[in-house]
Amino acid sequence: MSNAIEIHQLHYRAGRTFEIKDLDLSVPAGAIYGFLGPNGSGKTTTIRLALGLLRPLAGRITVLGDTIPENAPHVLARVGFVPEQPHLDPVLTVRETLRFQAAFYPAWDWPWAERLLRQFELQEQQPFGRLSKGQKGKLMMLLALAQRPELLVLDEPTDGLDPVVRRDVLSALLDYVSQRRATVFISSHLVHELERFCDWIGVMDNGRLITAVPMERFKNGVKRLRISDAPPTPDSPPFVLLAREPANGTTETWLVRDWEPQMTRYFESIGAVVNDVIDLDLEEGFVELLRTFRSPRS
Amino acid sequence: MFRVMLYSQWKWCRLIVVLGSVAGFALPLVSVQGAARADSSPLQAGELLQAVQSWGTLYPVLAAALGLLVAIATWAPDHRGRHVHALSLPVPRWRYVLLRFSAGAVLLAAPILALSAGAVLATWSATIPAGLQGYPVALAIRFALAVLLAYAVFFAVSAGTARTAGIILAVIGSVILVQVVASVANVDFDLLGKLQVAVLNWPGPLAIFTGRWMLIDV
Repeated sequence: MSNAIEIHQLHYRAGRTFEIKDLDLSVPAGAIYGFLGPNGSGKTTTIRLALGLLRPLAGRITVLGDTIPENAPHVLARVGFVPEQPHLDPVLTVRETLRFQAAFYPAWDWPWAERLLRQFELQEQQPFGRLSKGQKGKLMMLLALAQRPELLVLDEPTDGLDPVVRRDVLSALLDYVSQRRATVFISSHLVHELERFCDWIGVMDNGRLITAVPMERFKNGVKRLRISDAPPTPDSPPFVLLAREPANGTTETWLVRDWEPQMTRYFESIGAVVNDVIDLDLEEGFVELLRTFRSPRS
Repeated sequence: MFRVMLYSQWKWCRLIVVLGSVAGFALPLVSVQGAARADSSPLQAGELLQAVQSWGTLYPVLAAALGLLVAIATWAPDHRGRHVHALSLPVPRWRYVLLRFSAGAVLLAAPILALSAGAVLATWSATIPAGLQGYPVALAIRFALAVLLAYAVFFAVSAGTARTAGIILAVIGSVILVQVVASVANVDFDLLGKLQVAVLNWPGPLAIFTGRWMLIDV
């Protein structure tokens, strides 16, 4: 199994305005895959489709080698899921919630759960409905990890959490991943957070996957170039020209993807000069990518 | 799995179950006590039958109320969480629904047993006039069937989405509208009456709720 999640030609419609169309997505086994996108871009819907919580109109979904939704129960027994909103029974206490969850998961690891319970400093007798947002976030992560899953699907697990809780939750996650070599599919709009530990990145907007590349390639491949004397219509560049904006005089700013240093030769061949190659961090790259996708200028 | 489901539902239903059990236990006793005389003289057949019959109208009401409230409470945690947690559990949906239904049904056993005990105690403690007989077992069985029927109907309705509830309300509204239009237009068409006969009279699906619920009868 080379991919933990494979989505092929997925089509889903919610209401009249939102649609996921012809979505192809592959999450390599063992990867920590960051799923980026602005609010309403379709991240949560894609996750719910991938776990069989929603039914697609068309397309094929395979998770951990089994098709979804046909084999959803078998798949879900091996998947730890942290939803965007913590949807647990509010009247059950923390301890009761653990017992409830443990009854459904054959691989539930009680010693690990107890260790996380202490580590997260959760009060066992407190009802879930009375926990703070941070405590709920910790409990959700605890439940997902104590199942000993092969795949963790996390839908904005740290959204709204304070930095201390966020660090606790993420360090527990990374501990687990380093021990078990599990695959992680994590959605977020907190770009800088994903930048620290993801090795793959997928960007979604308006129900479409704009890009899906290894993190290093994304970070290193998106550049802002300052170009002089560029021709009005450049001839088949070896990189993807995302955007082109005039700066001053004969100088322009180009935003490019899939950039490599030796590509400066291309500019010599078209009579232009590269004055500067500026690195973009993931957040800048993400924003520029979205901007370009929404209003192509080049 | 069933045990944790039962416990989860107990936390949601415990007040309903406890109050329903108290009411179920008390109702047969109160119905017989209603005919008791202040001077402790023997019960009179006519007065006893009248008291038992008038209190008897409360049995189907209690059965329907228990079925409705436990069915609503059964789905309450899932509705609150928009079913996301339930759907993400590694069990087929039909099995999850069966677990929820069974847990609710088991909890309803408490008021059914309480009513059975109350009925047996009431007939055992009362001096029944000649010509009359106590039917505690028949009453308890009928109550159990009525409770489970009400629970099943409301469980099915509350398992659905808001859209399902909307469709059911629309159907009921349409029937009433047809009846109103028919009476305004002076058309001799008693749709509500026919539906009532079809649903509430034997062998209609809700016939168990109608008729006389007698703990003591001839």
